[in-house]
Amino acid sequence: MTAPTSAERKACWEARDQLWLCLDNNNDKIESCQKFQSDFEAKCPAQWVKYFTKRRSFLKYKDKMEAEGFSPAEGSRENS
Amino acid sequence: VILTSENPDNWDFNKDGQIISSYSSSSRAHVKLWTRLLVSLLVGGGVLGAWWYVDLEKQQKFQRRRVEQLRKVALGQGTFSLLDHMGQRRTKQDFLGNWVLMYFGFTHCPDICPEELDKLSAVVSALDQDPSLPRVQPLFITVDPERDNVGALARYVKDFHPRLIGLTGTPEEVKQAAQDYRVYASPGPKDEDGDYIVDHTVLVYLVSPDGLFLDYYNRMKNKDQILDSIKNHIKNFRSVI
Repeated sequence: MTAPTSAERKACWEARDQLWLCLDNNNDKIESCQKFQSDFEAKCPAQWVKYFTKRRSFLKYKDKMEAEGFSPAEGSRENS
Repeated sequence: VILTSENPDNWDFNKDGQIISSYSSSSRAHVKLWTRLLVSLLVGGGVLGAWWYVDLEKQQKFQRRRVEQLRKVALGQGTFSLLDHMGQRRTKQDFLGNWVLMYFGFTHCPDICPEELDKLSAVVSALDQDPSLPRVQPLFITVDPERDNVGALARYVKDFHPRLIGLTGTPEEVKQAAQDYRVYASPGPKDEDGDYIVDHTVLVYLVSPDGLFLDYYNRMKNKDQILDSIKNHIKNFRSVI
């Protein structure tokens, strides 16, 4: 199996960015972005689809951490 | 003594009570202001100069010590022997005397490797623009010898800097090169297509003409930061061999 070419990589990244934009605009509801999801799956190798899907949740988690900081679990909160 | 002031308040006397000079009060203030300014400038400049000199000495000492430290940890001091993307055998000795920027990755890499190689290519191109700087050789060493043969690398490197050399070899040869630079690489599980992602260390290494590891740049470092750092290393480089 040969690696994607430069053009194939770019097509995949564009499809990914379109899907992510749609998910950002639709509160991550995949139902609203089916068209972009299937385009993404068509243009990227299956491994990359898995990788980018995991990467998106990681990036979202990271952004959340940076924006809100670490919040301790419910139980450890002190009553004042 | 020429008296310039009629007012005895402005006369200076020596210890015998003789007038040694006189001045008008406004010119006295003037002279005093200028003297103070001059003294301040001289003292300030002196302090600044001394600080600058001490700082320079300190930096040079720090740099020499760093090179010694790097020499002791011996990162990348071993040799590699790999095939380039034209099928020619290349060893580390071939690159002695050259500044080298190297990156470990794989051609099936989804995003990080192409991004890092684009950045590395942009850095090398920017360095190429300055004729006073020595040429920096970009290298791409695969961590996926199973799929990245000579042909795969030849197809891949042409997407990046024209002087980029792709290197591969037997799994043992590749493993040895990666170990030499403390590069971690671990292939993930294969899917039904036999495709897999290789998890690996994402660092760009700067190797001096002595063949010694000098610095590394992680993903957070942008093109300009890497460029400045390399220029600084080239400027301050003293061969230790």
